[in-house]
Amino acid sequence: MRKMGILVLCLAVAVGFSSMAAAKTLKIGTLSPLTGPYAQDGTDILQGVKTAVAVFQKAGGIPGYKIEVIPGDSACDGGKATMAANNLINQGVNGVVGAYCSSATIPSSVPLNEANIIQITPASTHTDVTARGFKQIFRMCPRDDVQAWSTVKFLEDGLKVKTLALIDDRQTYTVGLTENITKFVNEDKKIKIVALEHITPGDKDFTAVLTKLKKLNPDAIYMGVYQPEGSLMVRQAKALGIKATLLSEDAVYHPKFIEVGGKAAEGTFLTYAKAPDTPERRNFEKTYKKMWNAQAIGSYGYYAYDSAMVFMEAVKKAGTTDTNKVAATIRDNTWNGVSGKIKFDEKGDRKLAHIIWIVKDGKFVPYWDPMTEKYF
Amino acid sequence: MDTSSFLVQQLINALFLGSIYALIALGYTMVYGIIELINFAHGELFTAGAFIGLIVLAALQKYGFVQTHFVLTLFLVFGMAMAYVGVLGVAIEHVAYKPLRNASRLAAILSALGMSIFLSNGMMLSQGVSDRAYPALFGLKGITIIGARITYGQVFIIILSLLLMVALNMFVNWTKLGKAMRATAQNQVMARMLGINIDRTIRVTFIIGPALGAAAGVMVGMYYGSVRFDMGFIYMIKAFAAAILGGIGSIPGAVLGGMIIGGVEVAWSAFLPSAWKDVTTFIVLILVLYFKPSGILGEDVSETRV
Repeated sequence: MRKMGILVLCLAVAVGFSSMAAAKTLKIGTLSPLTGPYAQDGTDILQGVKTAVAVFQKAGGIPGYKIEVIPGDSACDGGKATMAANNLINQGVNGVVGAYCSSATIPSSVPLNEANIIQITPASTHTDVTARGFKQIFRMCPRDDVQAWSTVKFLEDGLKVKTLALIDDRQTYTVGLTENITKFVNEDKKIKIVALEHITPGDKDFTAVLTKLKKLNPDAIYMGVYQPEGSLMVRQAKALGIKATLLSEDAVYHPKFIEVGGKAAEGTFLTYAKAPDTPERRNFEKTYKKMWNAQAIGSYGYYAYDSAMVFMEAVKKAGTTDTNKVAATIRDNTWNGVSGKIKFDEKGDRKLAHIIWIVKDGKFVPYWDPMTEKYF
Repeated sequence: MDTSSFLVQQLINALFLGSIYALIALGYTMVYGIIELINFAHGELFTAGAFIGLIVLAALQKYGFVQTHFVLTLFLVFGMAMAYVGVLGVAIEHVAYKPLRNASRLAAILSALGMSIFLSNGMMLSQGVSDRAYPALFGLKGITIIGARITYGQVFIIILSLLLMVALNMFVNWTKLGKAMRATAQNQVMARMLGINIDRTIRVTFIIGPALGAAAGVMVGMYYGSVRFDMGFIYMIKAFAAAILGGIGSIPGAVLGGMIIGGVEVAWSAFLPSAWKDVTTFIVLILVLYFKPSGILGEDVSETRV
């Protein structure tokens, strides 16, 4: 019994200390894969958040607050992400930017919701992330069904294809995309889906599946994968002499895709949001490249920067770190981000549409806008 | 694409994948044959080979050497990668395995696992977490046989890996050192009594096995166009399965096992739902081990270990 008493006392002291510390420091946790195959995107996210803190503090910060970034490694794994989220909660974070893979974000958001901590995901596009009625979760990037809608619209009205083959890697994010595409295509009945194939994340050889698709000879092949597999897939498709139009999504939209894919990446279509060129955006790009000695910025660096920025601005505006008030501030205001105007709806989703990009001469070039059905 | 060209194309895919698995499996099987240790660091040695190849290739390309001396470039890239990783293999043996040669087998296996983690993280810290692009040596050009396409890069890799396998077989069967290796594998104590330098024989094994892994690493980098610090893991699992399937300790077994694993993988993806591809590899492995525990070409354990 006495031991119990000491334990309670220790706990009380510990809680007391952590709340005392929190009164002076604004702690921003990040959740992103810092190890494993998606460590590149995960590092982009962490660096984006750290850049935001640096820029924000240079512009004055929040008077009386020190801002600290606590990195968490989600490893694109539900279990590890949940452990990392609990670790962040124990360290008394006020807000979390992350995670990356939808399959890590959804489980890790449960303890964060229970602890009532603001979570802004810069990258997870699965509809379930914001569809569970959580009041403190926001999403900086467009949703799967929005992305799938843009893709299907482009296939039907832009490319006017008749047959389509789908590939995914059986992860939450990519399956969400192929399911939504299948749904939209079947509703419109303009395109016939001839195959749905699966690959294993981390594999390097997809020639067996691609040969199968070559035999079916579809007009277009949709690659629901992440960048490392996407780069390899376009190379192997071209080496096999596949003539079908190749399409992919925002997880492949990364400078590394072109670097590794090389000539084979040319002509690939990708869905990704287009942001207006603003002084803030240029300032961010300059600071980021200088801070991290980087030549190019990964696509999630932008969203991560905006996520951290909106959180810090909201805390400043609300004048408190109280989650309910900060969440209301985030929801009720329109923010200027480097990825465009930011306005969240009731669910925590942002109104942001994808456009179609094409890889041309080693660069991502805007190609078609599904909203206006116009070419750039 | 008609059915016959589809089959030929899948056969080429399988042959290509199989020869890479076989080359890596050889490293496992040789080390196991000699000191009965599963060298878990082999996957990382494979990755290290790919990185050295990349470094050499990038340096040669920078000075325009690739265009002027194409064949010499290939020799240099493969030679340097194999030499470096061969030395690394010997170093690992000396540091991590030799002191444990008379300890329990479990201790050596743990040491191998530790070495694997150490090397993997070392490469992550020194080479970064992201994909590194490999300069394209062969491009996407190729030839068409019965409607199936094979690129020059694939032709080169299949021929080189077959050559390496034949050379290894000749070395083990026809040279004095090879004879010493076979003797050591059969009975270390007896071999030592007959005047064979066991330490040297083990060292040679730890040069050849990892060097073959390094060659496979360079091939993978060259063909697929990218390397990453953790790419050895998946190849390690497949090659390990191949070595066991063919009968661990047997050199022709490793080649056969690699080809079977590559073939089964491609065949499954080609004809059945691709979602279950990785399961099949291990179903085949379990079935073979159930009916023939020593592997397809493995020797009967009870006979050799008396």
